Amino acid sequence: MNIVACYKWVLDEQDIKVVPGSLSLDMSRAKGKISEYDKNVIEEAVLQAEKHAATVTALTFGNSKAKQSLKDALSRGPAKGFWVNDAAADIADGFVTANVLTAAVKKIGEYDLILFGEGSSDVYGQQVGPRVAALLGIPVVTFATKIEVADGKVTATRKLGDCTEDVTVTLPAVITLLPEVNKPRIPGLKQVLGASKKPVEELSLAALGLEKEAVAPKNKIKSIRGYAMDRKNEIYAAGTTEEKVAALVSSLTKEGLL
Amino acid sequence: MAGIFVYSEDIMVTKQLLTAGRALADALQVSVTALTLNETDTAAIIACGADKVIAMTGTNLWPESYAASIAGQIEKEQPTAILIGGTLRGKDVAARIAGLHNCGLVNSALSVEVVSGKVETTRIIYGGLAVCTEELSDGCIVTIDPRTYEEAVADATRSGETVAYKAEIPDDATNVGAVCPIVRERADLAIAEKIVCVGRGLGSQDDMKMAEDLAEKLGAEIGCTRSVAEDYHWLPTESYIGLSGQKVKPQLYISFGVSGQVQHIVGARDSKIIVAIDKNEKAPIFEAADYGIVGDLYDIVPALIEKLGK
Repeated sequence: MNIVACYKWVLDEQDIKVVPGSLSLDMSRAKGKISEYDKNVIEEAVLQAEKHAATVTALTFGNSKAKQSLKDALSRGPAKGFWVNDAAADIADGFVTANVLTAAVKKIGEYDLILFGEGSSDVYGQQVGPRVAALLGIPVVTFATKIEVADGKVTATRKLGDCTEDVTVTLPAVITLLPEVNKPRIPGLKQVLGASKKPVEELSLAALGLEKEAVAPKNKIKSIRGYAMDRKNEIYAAGTTEEKVAALVSSLTKEGLL
Repeated sequence: MAGIFVYSEDIMVTKQLLTAGRALADALQVSVTALTLNETDTAAIIACGADKVIAMTGTNLWPESYAASIAGQIEKEQPTAILIGGTLRGKDVAARIAGLHNCGLVNSALSVEVVSGKVETTRIIYGGLAVCTEELSDGCIVTIDPRTYEEAVADATRSGETVAYKAEIPDDATNVGAVCPIVRERADLAIAEKIVCVGRGLGSQDDMKMAEDLAEKLGAEIGCTRSVAEDYHWLPTESYIGLSGQKVKPQLYISFGVSGQVQHIVGARDSKIIVAIDKNEKAPIFEAADYGIVGDLYDIVPALIEKLGK
């Protein structure tokens, strides 16, 4: 069995600062990371591979900086990496990313199970997995908290707010995962060292032979601005516990909340 | 042909979408077409503002299996924008349609409106840190989370056309079994008026007693941050507030031991008043708070409970 674990190399949102006043974003100190949800994806692919003697390929579409992600991804257990290296990834939307990953999956050739996170931790577009399934013409099950592969089929337990449901589809299939599906391992030194010996196939976007419109984002981004936090910010830091509590209770009473 | 399409598998959400959809259609001077899986809802949908209802019928009870049929209707009618209810089933269907129809998709829009003749959406990115405004391409799908818009006011004098449509369900050997309702141990946080929220500043599960006592004094429900539910399992998963958890809109949100990572704040920032108690005065929760106390929660919370008791 062949499993493709798709992941995205994103900027760590914890390092992004909103510039007061202009509300523009300062990303100068932001480091890259594998999208949190996709750490679960790689883990699940590897867990399934351990159970079913499958080969896991970690697949990503990213700019030249995504090179460093492959070592991290491969230290988590996949046998090989596949990287579509192009700056177009910086402005890609779900439509473009799905077209690129679909072409890449076809290039990889053999696939039974393709795993995605439910969304990425940067833009959280929540669409690439089902789009890839539609483009490949294979079934998809979204928002899975558990998956089981048996007899050429995969059964995924979905969690949908007010219910769970078990959905069984025939392989090959796409499954998108919720983070509660597993707890990603923390790679040890041996795994980190071993990762650099694993094969990585690097492809340019041009090599995938996509039409120009297939790599043009659909919508026009007009602005990206920090979320304006408009709060009273009355913070009681000085005084005794009693004084601070009295000040808070007095304020909440004035607000009509007590 | 232009127009606005709305679809949700949930009639309550369809009515909320009609508020947004009707406003878009009026601004663009086009009509609203609603798709439904339930024929009995057509009158209510027309009363809430749809000019036309396509009532889809099929043999499959799984809403997700209608994606291809909806995509077919979109191909035929070429609407300017398609609004889909942002339940998880709705987002699944929206992404399937977007893949089949090769169109744009904006998930969880905070707003959708017409600006200079074009449809624009806003949505949050970077875990809630920023808002992205997009001008949509023609035929773009937008999902809108439940309760983002109020339900459209029904007017029984409205009239509209109803079309029955027999959906072709693709046979991709999808088998849905074992649907289990999730039994809620606690009240629904999404509609709570007051919420006490706890985070990792709590030393042990025994300290949940403090949250319960404070909640009882305030008449509040209890929520938590993601790690309290997912890592410590002190509360069920549906109790965590945040980007991938509950989005709450209480009159009062009061937290203790919550540092205030943006992914958590995004779930709480529609609260009317936010109160934070934390010993770290640099904790980001204070930037998001109306009122705050810097101090040890083990001193402050018992003192607050006592004060409220008087």
